[in-house]
Amino acid sequence: MTRLRAYPTLVIGLVLVTLAVLLAVLSPYIVPYAPNTATPDVEMAPPRLTQIPHLLMQGAPVHWFGTDAAGLDVFSRVLTAPRTDLIIAISANLLSMFAGTLIGLLCGFYRGWLSELVMRISDLVQSFPILISGMILVTLAGRNAGNIILALGLLYTPIYVRLARVEVLSQRSRGYVEASRALGMREIVIAARHVLPNSLAPSLIQASVMVGFGILTTAGLSFVGAGVRPPTPEWGLMIAGGVDDMIQGQWWPSVFPGVAISLTVFGFAALGNGLERLYAR
Amino acid sequence: MPTRFRFIGRRVVIGLVQLVGLVLAVFFLIRLLPADPAARLVGQNATPEALAAARHTLGLDRPLMIQLADYLGLWGRAGVLEANLGTSWSSGAPVLTEIHQTLPITVELITLSFMGAFLVAFPIGTLCATRPGGVADRGTFVFTLFAGSQPEFWWGVLFIYVFFYLLNAAPPPLGRLDPLSTPPAVVTGFITIDSLLAWNFTALGDGLYHLMLPVATKVFVLSGPMIKMIRQNMVRALSSDYILYAESCGLPPRTIARYALRNALAPALTLIGVLYGYVLGGAVLIETIFSLGGIGQYAVNAVLNFDYPAIEGVVLVITAVSLVVYLVLDVVQVLLDPRVAE
Repeated sequence: MTRLRAYPTLVIGLVLVTLAVLLAVLSPYIVPYAPNTATPDVEMAPPRLTQIPHLLMQGAPVHWFGTDAAGLDVFSRVLTAPRTDLIIAISANLLSMFAGTLIGLLCGFYRGWLSELVMRISDLVQSFPILISGMILVTLAGRNAGNIILALGLLYTPIYVRLARVEVLSQRSRGYVEASRALGMREIVIAARHVLPNSLAPSLIQASVMVGFGILTTAGLSFVGAGVRPPTPEWGLMIAGGVDDMIQGQWWPSVFPGVAISLTVFGFAALGNGLERLYAR
Repeated sequence: MPTRFRFIGRRVVIGLVQLVGLVLAVFFLIRLLPADPAARLVGQNATPEALAAARHTLGLDRPLMIQLADYLGLWGRAGVLEANLGTSWSSGAPVLTEIHQTLPITVELITLSFMGAFLVAFPIGTLCATRPGGVADRGTFVFTLFAGSQPEFWWGVLFIYVFFYLLNAAPPPLGRLDPLSTPPAVVTGFITIDSLLAWNFTALGDGLYHLMLPVATKVFVLSGPMIKMIRQNMVRALSSDYILYAESCGLPPRTIARYALRNALAPALTLIGVLYGYVLGGAVLIETIFSLGGIGQYAVNAVLNFDYPAIEGVVLVITAVSLVVYLVLDVVQVLLDPRVAE
């Protein structure tokens, strides 16, 4: 416990991220209303925060966070959204971490014109704003969660290529690699069995921060109309849907999903920072 | 001197190759993806003949390489090689003209936001660097971690709610100027500069009034990473050998701060390059919320309408601008610190 206290960001990050992951898994079983079924005759009901939210009680009468213009329960939708946002962000990062680490490992181990070309292409992809390239890819490929995962996976790959390559370059001249070589091990075996495990830490730390950014990008895409389609419960869509109401003073359809996304992404950033400190120790 | 020129020349060549590569990649990529612009144009209930006609008008029935030659300007009409970006499929206007109108709006927003964020971040970052680990430093750290991980579109909406709806201290998010006011004559496309050139202070005030919330939103989000980087650079500069030497010589703190500042500023320049893409991507969201009509909003419309010439134009221009930004930063950096070129 005393050790944990030395890493406050790690603790905050773990708490927020665990909460988001739990919601992604459990939300269908605990939300009071079905996220896409409108309650008849209660459009734009204001939130009733003084009452107790009816978790685990299906069809309970209280709309804790109010309802939106279509009569959908904001509380249930905010709690269901991590399913979409988290799954997209985590899958995209798993995809790009796998591809990027593999490419980075090869580029760091076998240096030549091909690896130079791969690095230049990475530069090119990275130099362009991800939100705009993501918007183009997702809209033209078809707006659904699978395509967002593929597009973000592709666009995030260069980040992991770079991280893995830098780490491999610093590892490949270490004593243990020289020793393996002296023992007559094949290069590919050295790379996969010895250099790879030692080069993963920076990518894993970065992954935490990148999942947060993945959530921001997913929400940003749907905010401009280039992401998942309504009425999917997704934080960015919910914020976008409530903008017009908010200008007229009805703040709840936008504010609650905003708070949720704000805390979740902050959680991932804090977790990344905590892990970084733990690793640097 | 020759090393510097070779370094900069190399950068220019690499940049141009990247630009060409990106233009070609985008050209093929958007045509390989399953979107159908002709179907979008004629609507869902169109006859197959109408669809074929639309496809023919857009030139999509031709072989891919002919389309590319046409786009580049090697096949009949003037193309990219003659600085003609084609005609927008959704508006019918030349893409170059539309980009010429929208780009300055975004550049103005970004420039003011960078300036604002730097004005906020510089004193805070420097203050934190003088006492690393102190109360101010730790408080600022939490702020930077928080601000750097925020959805800026949500904060934009929140600012509108607070400052427009609740406090009535900001204009409605409906553009760059009051719809009833006369805009200044367009010279640069920047509202601020154009109104100054026209000596029109009403328009200047109105323009700044409308830019207040979008810039504040961007400054808030941008200040996070900026404070962090300025602090790191200052800490590194302050703990270096030449500062230790200056201190041991008994130089006054002001002089020492000046030495550290100059050496901390050079790496701080790179952060503009690092943050540029991030800021530009975010500009898409901010422009959409405040209806500013910049190139970000133009890009959104181009993408949602499957408007290929406009998409290609936006990608080309954004990449070209970022290459220029990187190049200028490289040159300044080499001038400040010749060791970079080696």
